[in-house]
Amino acid sequence: MKITVCIGSSCHLKGSRQVVEKLQKLVDEHNLKDKIILCGTFCMGNCQQGVCCTLDGKPYSLNEDNTEEFFFNEVLPNI
Amino acid sequence: MNNLCADIGYRSLIKYGEELCGDNVQVIEKDDGSTIIVLADGLGSGVKANILSTLTSKILSTMMAQGMKVEDCVETMAQTLPVCSVRGVAYSTFTIIYIRDNDEADIIQFDNPEVILLRNGQNYDYPKTVSDICGKKISRSTIKLCEDDIFIAMSDGCIHASIGQELNFGWDRSEIIEFMESFFQVGFTAKTLNTILLDECYKLYGGQPGDDTTACTVRIRKREPMNLIIGPPSNRDDCNKMMALFFSKEGKHIVCGGTTSTIAAEYLGKPLVPSIEFPDPEIPPIAKIEGVDLVTEGVITINKVLSYAKDYLADNESYSQWGYKRDGASMIARLLFEEATDINFYVGKAVNPAHQNPNLPINFNIKMQLIQELSDCLKKMGKRIKVSYF
Repeated sequence: MKITVCIGSSCHLKGSRQVVEKLQKLVDEHNLKDKIILCGTFCMGNCQQGVCCTLDGKPYSLNEDNTEEFFFNEVLPNI
Repeated sequence: MNNLCADIGYRSLIKYGEELCGDNVQVIEKDDGSTIIVLADGLGSGVKANILSTLTSKILSTMMAQGMKVEDCVETMAQTLPVCSVRGVAYSTFTIIYIRDNDEADIIQFDNPEVILLRNGQNYDYPKTVSDICGKKISRSTIKLCEDDIFIAMSDGCIHASIGQELNFGWDRSEIIEFMESFFQVGFTAKTLNTILLDECYKLYGGQPGDDTTACTVRIRKREPMNLIIGPPSNRDDCNKMMALFFSKEGKHIVCGGTTSTIAAEYLGKPLVPSIEFPDPEIPPIAKIEGVDLVTEGVITINKVLSYAKDYLADNESYSQWGYKRDGASMIARLLFEEATDINFYVGKAVNPAHQNPNLPINFNIKMQLIQELSDCLKKMGKRIKVSYF
């Protein structure tokens, strides 16, 4: 499973670092390092919806507050 | 012409309790690539010394740059300097370093501590001839330049540092040589070497310099071209043309901006691999493309580089940050400020629709302004800058 987080200028300003750090922490806590690939990408062309993320190609709009919800609702059940 | 160039750094410490510095350094770069550096130390301190040294360095550098003979320059200076009412003399010592075609250096000295030349990291005793001009004993030398030569010109405040404080008789020229030799291998820039020397003087003076203290360091180095591309071209059809021009240039290549690096990766046919490491929480992560020396985000990173550049030109306090850190902005700063001598900017004028959101503190004008300000700063660091727009 691959989660991609935009680290472009616009998403950076909207807090992609916090999203990345939160995801890293969650992946760590659930010992999913070998199941989930976390990677960065530059602009996905959808800055208005930032922080732009994709989960196996499906787009999501994350922020610091809904990252955990995203992880539990979208990521964990699909492992 | 060869591929050498002179990297110059100078600074003064002002005598404790004074407002003005009685030493003055002037640097003139001529269109033919020659450089004239004059370090003058006026008699006394404060306003009077400041006027004497400024007059001296201005007169000498301007006349030398116009191709006048040394004799004429010194004579003019001697006749122009106002006579000190207390001491009855008009007096300012000086050191002239005239670098011709980056091939030869003339060193003309009057009463300042002798210019130090480090060659291959060792003190090099160069021949001098002494002649009498207007009653002044002027020492002259002509030296063929080698890569990595380091010249250090000083006012006597440097060798008097610490008299009566840390050390009884100050540290003399040979101790300064020994001190500076130890930093040779590191490859510091002239400005950094110069700062190291003056910081040591400041320390020896116990933070209260007893005299105006000035040093000017000249490092002879190879020209190092560097290329930086930022932003896609305003006409998308020009992408290949812009990339072809950029990648055909000699020297290292820095790609800034998400879209720009995507285009560069496509052009090179290599994958773009962004990292998600944040060595500096404020700066977006860097990325990797095979064949590109550095790939970073655009506006936020460059904005940080600009603030480092402004600080470098001022007191360089942030060197402790960008000097070693692994974030994109620090890495660009090291490449541009320390490594490069000739920088080509390739600036794409495409407007990023994503950045036109009024809630974001970045927009097209800011990008253009950043590049303009950054190239101005780099020019002040003595770099040759070329900016091309697409």
